[in-house]
Amino acid sequence: MDLQNQQRVKDAAEKFGAENIVVILGSSDAEGAEIYAETVTNGDPTFAGPLAGAPLGLAVYHILEPEIKEEADPDVWEDQIGMMEMVLDGEALANAVKGIREKFSKYSL
Amino acid sequence: MGKLEGKKLVLLGERDGVAGPAMEESLKNCGAEVVFSVTECFV
Repeated sequence: MDLQNQQRVKDAAEKFGAENIVVILGSSDAEGAEIYAETVTNGDPTFAGPLAGAPLGLAVYHILEPEIKEEADPDVWEDQIGMMEMVLDGEALANAVKGIREKFSKYSL
Repeated sequence: MGKLEGKKLVLLGERDGVAGPAMEESLKNCGAEVVFSVTECFV
């Protein structure tokens, strides 16, 4: 994950409390989604950025997971995300993020 | 009350996946506040 964005995630967790943050990913591939999810839960796996050694344990979901989709406005969802939902492998993405969440997240919805 | 009600959202979008603004738009009425939203791209 971009180092600047790691810092912003860290700042947000400090400012609002890690228990109040929900990170939602829009990643296109399962491997990338896992790396993002790991970064915001267990810390930066590459040890390059501000989240290195910082296991925030944030709640993390992929936008295509049912828990998130059911919170969205259905018409807007169709307009904004419907097309990518058809193209992306939602099940693989959801399973990838869920796997990391169950392993490292201290919080969930 | 929705599951996201009162939460602070961090939206990490991707150019080749779902972009930040698309997620923001879809979730704007869910009762959560978007703290920040980005769209990363990998070249």
